[in-house]
Amino acid sequence: MLSRVVLSAAAAAAPCLKNAAVLGPGVVQATRVFHTGQPRLAPVPPLPEYGGKVRLGLIPEEFFQFLYPKTGVTGPYVLGTGLSLYFLSKEIYVITPETFSTITVVGLIVYVIKKYGASIGEFLDKLNEEKIAQLEEVKQATIKQIQDAIDMEKAQQALVQKRHYLFDVQRNNIALALEVTYRERLHRAYKEVKNRLDYHISVQNMMRRKEQEHMIDWVEKHVVQSISAQQEKETIAKCISDLKLLAKKAQAQPVM
Amino acid sequence: MASLVPLKEKKLMEVKLGELPSWILMRNFTPSGIVGAFQRGYDRYYNKYINVRKGSISGINMVLAAYVVFSYCISYKELKHERRRKYH
Repeated sequence: MLSRVVLSAAAAAAPCLKNAAVLGPGVVQATRVFHTGQPRLAPVPPLPEYGGKVRLGLIPEEFFQFLYPKTGVTGPYVLGTGLSLYFLSKEIYVITPETFSTITVVGLIVYVIKKYGASIGEFLDKLNEEKIAQLEEVKQATIKQIQDAIDMEKAQQALVQKRHYLFDVQRNNIALALEVTYRERLHRAYKEVKNRLDYHISVQNMMRRKEQEHMIDWVEKHVVQSISAQQEKETIAKCISDLKLLAKKAQAQPVM
Repeated sequence: MASLVPLKEKKLMEVKLGELPSWILMRNFTPSGIVGAFQRGYDRYYNKYINVRKGSISGINMVLAAYVVFSYCISYKELKHERRRKYH
């Protein structure tokens, strides 16, 4: 459809191109140009209000106007009277029983039309109005629909300008996630390294403690081993005698 | 006397009486031309008297009157025998 718009714009701008073979993208027949004439009947002209005027319900007004310059106002009536008398006298119109029924029927029709014509006309006009109102409604609804579609299109086009916000947010999110992962892994690496070093330290501590204890035990054992039984007895006897001395000293002291 | 407007494009009311035969002979008598003439006549009558907002009874009335006159002309041959006087 855009190609047609382009072609019509080109044809309107340069009428000499109308017959040239204008090739555009998507044009199937290369030599035809569409929509180049002035649009006729657009907008559609409204219906006339009243029909042509007719006198006596039978003879259009144009006939009276046609005879007016030559014969004045009464010309056509005189013509009518004269013609009817001529037909009657020469019996070009024959008076038969049918004549009387014709007169009666025509009289009845004229009476009915005179009496009820206006009200029937109003009723039919009302029907017409309803029909027209319905169509108008449809037209307005379609126009509104198309207008809404146009507005939505415009809004969407405006939104396109703001697409970069979406991408900025996404970019920020990704950067944050990357940062978080990086820090997490850093922390884990630190923890692992600390773990290993702690292990080595505790191994060393344990070794040192074990060595200390072992040495202490070994020294004690050897010392205890080296104390013979006799030495033990002598030591215990000396301790007892020392204690007795001390007890005596202690007894002597408070008395003083 | 040459007319200023070529004969072909004049309407019937503008044709002078002397030019009438040549004007009539010049009309389009092919079937499509005749059909076109009937269509044009119908369209003219329809758009003038019937296709209006407040149409009156005369739109139909004129057609009925024309039909009455036409049928009277058709049946004149039999009606001639019901005349009251023979000589007028």
